Amino acid sequence: MTDIVIQGLSKWFGPVHAVRELGFDVPAGRITGFLGPNGAGKTTTLRMLLGLVRPTGGQALIGGLRYVEIAAPRRVVGAVLEATGCHPGRRARDHLRILAQVTGVSRSRVDEVLDLVDLTDAGHRRVGGYSLGMRQRLGLAGALLGSPDVLILDEPGNGLDPGGMAWLRGLLRDHAAAGGTVLVSSHVLSEVAQTADTVVIIGNGTLRFAGPIRELGDSLEIAFLRLTEIDGMAAASGNDASPGKGVAR
Amino acid sequence: MTLVRNEFRKLSTMRAVWLLLAAEQAVIIAGIASLLVGNSNDPHDPMTSRQAVMHVGLVAMFTLLLGVLAVAGEYRHKTITDTYLATPKRGRVVWAKVITYTIAGLGFGLVAAVTATVVGSIWLSAKGGSLYLGDTEVWQTLVGCILWNALFAAIGVGVGALVRNLVAAVAVALGWIAVIEMSMSSLFGSSARWLPFAAGKSLGHFTPDSDLLPQWAGAVVLIAYTVLFVAAAVSTTVRRDVT
Repeated sequence: MTDIVIQGLSKWFGPVHAVRELGFDVPAGRITGFLGPNGAGKTTTLRMLLGLVRPTGGQALIGGLRYVEIAAPRRVVGAVLEATGCHPGRRARDHLRILAQVTGVSRSRVDEVLDLVDLTDAGHRRVGGYSLGMRQRLGLAGALLGSPDVLILDEPGNGLDPGGMAWLRGLLRDHAAAGGTVLVSSHVLSEVAQTADTVVIIGNGTLRFAGPIRELGDSLEIAFLRLTEIDGMAAASGNDASPGKGVAR
Repeated sequence: MTLVRNEFRKLSTMRAVWLLLAAEQAVIIAGIASLLVGNSNDPHDPMTSRQAVMHVGLVAMFTLLLGVLAVAGEYRHKTITDTYLATPKRGRVVWAKVITYTIAGLGFGLVAAVTATVVGSIWLSAKGGSLYLGDTEVWQTLVGCILWNALFAAIGVGVGALVRNLVAAVAVALGWIAVIEMSMSSLFGSSARWLPFAAGKSLGHFTPDSDLLPQWAGAVVLIAYTVLFVAAAVSTTVRRDVT
């Protein structure tokens, strides 16, 4: 059982207060959706959780430890961020072998995860020739290498076809049912409503809601728009989370 | 140790590395050919042999680029995220890259030395002379030039970690050698021998070419630069956010 606990987490990028005193729990054994409009601070929060960005204040703990304190982090946490990449000239199997070595798992595990994400036949190909969906699955394969307790996924559905989405949903449900922790950020609210048990909604770097979806009272989309509406009006244009604004004008 | 092995695996699965190695040999072959194709250089003079093997040092700019690629290339292709997720103590990643690429730079230097020796021997014997491998100064030049390759690779890792943007880092590295250090040496005269590329030439035993440092001093100065760059790279990499 590896819970994620975020307490008073803040981040300033120069004059920009990206994340403000954010606090929420991500319990094990459940799928937690992490939602917010563009620029709400989701990615920054995930990056602080993973030790890539240093918090200005507060802390983000995984199983009671900061990420940097975890001894073999890839065996505890599997993460796919938007910024996770592969060298385009590298073959997928080589990419995973490189990761396997630092994860501390054997080469045979590489073949297992390739099989799991249905890339066995494409494993010898260079990643540069992969489609978006294939890259997404390769990213997942990398995250799953260490059989981690905790999965942290940023927009994992990007580029997946309907079959891929259903497969991913099944994978996440099985993982949570087995006692694992799942934190998934997404803009596809219908998918989150189908998959997640609990949601954390943030806007402008602050917490707007954390709890079971059924406690929202409305449908997830209506609740999301209500909870983040204020940002849609305050934020500059380009904030795609406020479709109502365009209609009103 | 695992990290160093991991870096070697990354290195060997990058095509750019093999392209750099091939380009390096091409430059050496062309350089030695242009040295000997005319009749101005005496094939019986040991200095001609030394000038031929000096090309091993001049291609240190390829190992500089190799080192830059090792770090800035990871930022470019966003593989750095996975790298730091596996090793959140980022200073260890920088150290592993420094060790790996110093060894790789040594390897590049050795390959270059073999190419230069073979090509130089063939050209010189075609001209009726020979490569003076019995000459101590030829050996001093060869060994110094190989070490120059190794140290420039480590400095490249430092530059790549400091600049992070691949295009900018390559521009900085090549711009320094081709433009900045050149103009500084015309501005400051012999004080410019303390600059990195000039220190490399001193280490490569390019004397009596110009007012360079003694070979040992060139080595000391270049090692000092390497330490400086690596220290700066470690301290900034540990502190900076990865976004």
